[in-house]
Amino acid sequence: MKVGLLATLSVRNLLRHRRRNAMLVAAIVVAVAGVTFMNSFIRGFQQDLRDSAVANLTGHIKVHAPGYRDDPSIERSFEVATSWQPDIDAQALQGWAARVRVPAVIMSERETRGVQLVGIDPAQEGISFLGDVEFEGEQLSGVGDKRVFLGAALRDQLDTRVGRRLVLITQGSDGRNREAGFRIAGVYDAEGTALEKAYVFTGREALQNLLDTHAVTEVSIRLLQDPAGPSIQRRLLSYFTGLEVLGWRELEPQVAAMFVFADTAIFIWFSIMMGALVFGLVNSLITAVMERVREFGMLRAVGMRPGAVIVQVVMESTVLMAAGVAIGLGIGWLLCASLADGLDLSQWASGVEMVGMRSLVVPRLYGEDMLLVAVLSLVLGVVASLYPAWRAVKINPLEAMRR
Amino acid sequence: MRWRLLCPLFLALGTLGVVPLGVLADTAQTARALVERAIDQTRGRTSFAMMSMTVHRPSWERTSTLEAWTRGREDALIRFTEPARDAGNATLKQGEKMWTYTPKLNRTIRLPFSLMSQSWAGSDFSYNDLSRTDNLLHQYDLSVTATEQREGHTVYTIEAVPHEDAPVVWGKEVLVLRDDFVLLEQVFYDQDLEPLKKMQVLEIGELGGRTMGLRLRMFEFDKADSYTELEWREADFDIELDDQLFTLFSLRQGSPR
Repeated sequence: MKVGLLATLSVRNLLRHRRRNAMLVAAIVVAVAGVTFMNSFIRGFQQDLRDSAVANLTGHIKVHAPGYRDDPSIERSFEVATSWQPDIDAQALQGWAARVRVPAVIMSERETRGVQLVGIDPAQEGISFLGDVEFEGEQLSGVGDKRVFLGAALRDQLDTRVGRRLVLITQGSDGRNREAGFRIAGVYDAEGTALEKAYVFTGREALQNLLDTHAVTEVSIRLLQDPAGPSIQRRLLSYFTGLEVLGWRELEPQVAAMFVFADTAIFIWFSIMMGALVFGLVNSLITAVMERVREFGMLRAVGMRPGAVIVQVVMESTVLMAAGVAIGLGIGWLLCASLADGLDLSQWASGVEMVGMRSLVVPRLYGEDMLLVAVLSLVLGVVASLYPAWRAVKINPLEAMRR
Repeated sequence: MRWRLLCPLFLALGTLGVVPLGVLADTAQTARALVERAIDQTRGRTSFAMMSMTVHRPSWERTSTLEAWTRGREDALIRFTEPARDAGNATLKQGEKMWTYTPKLNRTIRLPFSLMSQSWAGSDFSYNDLSRTDNLLHQYDLSVTATEQREGHTVYTIEAVPHEDAPVVWGKEVLVLRDDFVLLEQVFYDQDLEPLKKMQVLEIGELGGRTMGLRLRMFEFDKADSYTELEWREADFDIELDDQLFTLFSLRQGSPR
């Protein structure tokens, strides 16, 4: 029997019960659209997680002196030649920055807080969140700028403002305390108060002078794309011998774990939605088979092979599923497109910040994810139809026709 | 050269207790000379004092007694003797480093510099007030803004404005110094030049052979009905002190004498 004929039979059979099958397709549409939409959210969250981790002074790859991560002090630093450039293809490199980062205590007239004091070259910071941060006052003017650039949340805690002097106390390269007054150049408004409270920036040379050093504590490299392998790391290691060269996954293991978990979460979500749906589908198909017992018996009696019966039932299920998936993906895509500007979660800002997200989540829809949903759904459709098809094959033509 | 070192507690011990060395020529008495002279007078000296400290808050008040030894500007040891539950609590300063000891825990803790701005023994003094290395001579521009006669003394009002990059949070400080180097008050201003906190001498007298503020009070302007008062009971200057006094070992001893 021709597959074309079977297909015609299947579609006609489905059209015999328009309302029932429309309901079923609607269920599939809701499930598929939901899964697509949720996927795009999880992807958005995942990307956001990585991007903020990378932008949060980490970069894709970072060079530290050994032990710095356990005990961040200026003693664990290294020197970088002024002429140094990372040996990375210009097409892959977004930028790099050498920084001095030390723990410090910051004091205003009224309050004292512990912070990370980071000496930067403002020209290099296009690679971090500082590149496009909103601020009031001025940004640091260069490596020699002896002012500080701090977060709005910290400013509020310290009860101070742009132009005021703050005192920073930290430890110099000889282990003795250093303290100096710094005027506030500007106040930045980062996404998330955790950043704002943690980082106080000043000119790199200005900080080096205070600490009596020419060294830096980190070199951070940002690539245009997440590096595929460790080859870039290995190349860097050949220059920075004896230092730690780590990717963001090792630097931010928590974020990396969340990143991996997001992949799993997509499957979990898919299994729950589609799992529930499959039972509905099986139920419907069995009903459809059972009400056509006479028909199947007749077809068998006139010579239809059992294989063709199976193909027909499977095809019915697949057509249903395909229709549902097509419409579902379309609706899911429309939903994502309508939220392309992102979903504002700022109402729950403190909560989303805790898991490392920004308060604006932009759903991201990938072709691969949509394809995956489509293929998995169709496979499920086939699997779900196997039992009804088996029931249809089991029909004895003689008994069926006597009914 | 640390002026506000152990200020105002030890500042009072040292600077306030300076022996007046004759009368300086009026015209030559610039603010800088006044302050410099006061510091020179106390350099390298040792002292012992017994004092009571009253911490007053709107809902409670607590008085304790403490003993303090100082040597130069580097070393200091303070130990509580009363009330009984606080007796033995002690703070040791060696140069920049500070430790506290609590007999109940039998623990010596080196104070990280992040803790230095915390309140010391629940008072209005911070550890920084005790040990801060602010330097009125080097980090501030000093000027006499007013001179007046009070009870037979010339009283100078000295304004201290920190240098641009000075490690000083204050907008300015105003000191009132008597011509016999008794500091009468010190007011700390924020950078809007609003007064923030004040140390004021309430009683001047003679102790240990020196004229000094015997009772002083520290308070913040925006905290009503809260202050800390120090009252000198006993004081002794230029005494022989054992080197061992300013060590961690002696910090843990109930009584070093």
